[in-house]
Amino acid sequence: MRRRAVILLPLIVVVLLFAANGVLRQRLADAVESFPTPRPAVPPGWPAPRYDFSANPVTASGFELGRRLFHDPRLSRDGSISCASCHQQFAAFAHLDHRVSHGLNGANGTRNAPPLFNLAWQPELMWDGAIHNLELQPLAPLGNPVEMGETLEGVLPKLRADAGYRRRFEAAFGPGEIDSRRMLLALTQFVGTLHSADSRYDRDELSAQEREGLALFRQHCASCHREPLFTDYSYRGNGLDADSADLGRSVISGKAEDRGRFKVPSLRNVAVSAPYMHDGRFDTLAQVLRHYASGIQDSAALDPALRGGLSLNPEQQQALVAFLESLTDEAFLQDDRYAEPLP
Amino acid sequence: MRRAALLILAMLPGLAACGRALELDAEIDISHVVGSEPLRLDEGQYRNAAGEAFTVQRLRYYLSLPRLRRADGSWFEPQHPAESADAYHLVDEAKAESRRLRITGLPAGKYVGIEFLLGVDDARNHAGAQTGALDPARGMFWTWKSGYIFLVLEGTSPQSPASGGRYSYHVGGGEPSLARRIYLPFGERPIRVEERVKPTVHLAVDVGALLSAVNPVRIAQLPEAMDPVAARPLADNAAAMFRVDHLHHEPRRRGGG
Repeated sequence: MRRRAVILLPLIVVVLLFAANGVLRQRLADAVESFPTPRPAVPPGWPAPRYDFSANPVTASGFELGRRLFHDPRLSRDGSISCASCHQQFAAFAHLDHRVSHGLNGANGTRNAPPLFNLAWQPELMWDGAIHNLELQPLAPLGNPVEMGETLEGVLPKLRADAGYRRRFEAAFGPGEIDSRRMLLALTQFVGTLHSADSRYDRDELSAQEREGLALFRQHCASCHREPLFTDYSYRGNGLDADSADLGRSVISGKAEDRGRFKVPSLRNVAVSAPYMHDGRFDTLAQVLRHYASGIQDSAALDPALRGGLSLNPEQQQALVAFLESLTDEAFLQDDRYAEPLP
Repeated sequence: MRRAALLILAMLPGLAACGRALELDAEIDISHVVGSEPLRLDEGQYRNAAGEAFTVQRLRYYLSLPRLRRADGSWFEPQHPAESADAYHLVDEAKAESRRLRITGLPAGKYVGIEFLLGVDDARNHAGAQTGALDPARGMFWTWKSGYIFLVLEGTSPQSPASGGRYSYHVGGGEPSLARRIYLPFGERPIRVEERVKPTVHLAVDVGALLSAVNPVRIAQLPEAMDPVAARPLADNAAAMFRVDHLHHEPRRRGGG
């Protein structure tokens, strides 16, 4: 009996790999390609995430499908722009060197493409908090005429016409038509498991100067850039302009005092995700710190904590920059599971 | 033993049919009008209370969570699976079949009125990716700012200062929400839901009221309302759009239907 099992087992595996239906083979390939598949996880000491994966459980096939959709320029109207065009892994999924990004036909956006990681903790998405639910976030760049300029009516037939996608959607979600919900759930499985929690700060491997920077950070910055996510997800004015050209949060809240207020961004991976601020006006962290020390402009939107600027001398600014650089998560930036998949 | 099992299996469809037969339905038919005239997309020429001429090119709205009221004041609320969007109905003047909805699983009895939500409730409006009538592919979802558009009215007017003489009203969002609960009594006579009698409620929905019922809207001054602040006057008018035009009772074909 046991001997028969010994012969049968490899045979079953071989049959599964080569003779079984395409969906099963796809699931095996996905499990191998994403191994070990990133799963929703809460590092010790972190708050509970806001996005609930229990209604969208991450599977190898769902994650792999999401990764493909994220990197596929066919999601844009003319096939030129993918999500990854403006969200590059080496920049922590921000757009390196671009104050604002260019979409369809070279049209420019109005705000700096934010980095993407730990998105499951964001109560709202976007600089102004326009999007309530991570699942719905992809609809914004997809439909924006200066980004991907596409509609769901336009993109779904492209996916349905592709045998590879048909197989992948079935592997991820079972039989059934490719619809907007399945597309959005797959994208969420990918972007929602872009986990970054393995910087030198997290491993407690800071140098003396970085430690000094951390102490200054906790004194001057941490009330808004709250650890461990390095943001409290509030909307604040940080004194960029006396009269903000961008209405910011007020577009969403309808409140006049929110004009020029934007979401406090996380500072994880900040050293690799330049340029900075909602309009990408600063190219370096040194410029950012000079702004907080001596460039604050007063306005109704200005956060009271920043009135008059932060008192930071040049050495302290250097120590802070050193600390901020320790927030880079190299393993995240190099993780092959998040990279553009092979065709 | 086996034969007994087979016998029970053979009876199952019959048993299920018995169960179904007790679950009756009622139909709601919707006609769109402007004042006393029927609405004709693109072709019809109408005037609002302010005397402005206008056409209608697009009229769409959500009728959600319908429930029927019994004479004793209690309600029949159709039950649906938690994930489904079956309780949400997208009415689109351009799609004849969308102007008819069925309320199913209805116990036999008399009902004195119907209530529904014009729009989408907060829970679903703030939820994630959905299907059916709430599929964002239906084009009633704001992509740049989460939330459903509860009602769309678009057309042209020579009085509109916008390009092409267009006007566009998108009602949705808002805190408190611009969704409106609407109760329509059936009047003197309740509808009868019986095994042999199927009722149809004909609603007349007046686009003219949307422009004038409580807050008169001048297209010349409001060619566009795309955010909750601008659209609130329209939302407050919307409840007055709906009235019960007449009721029908027809013999129900055997076996449901």
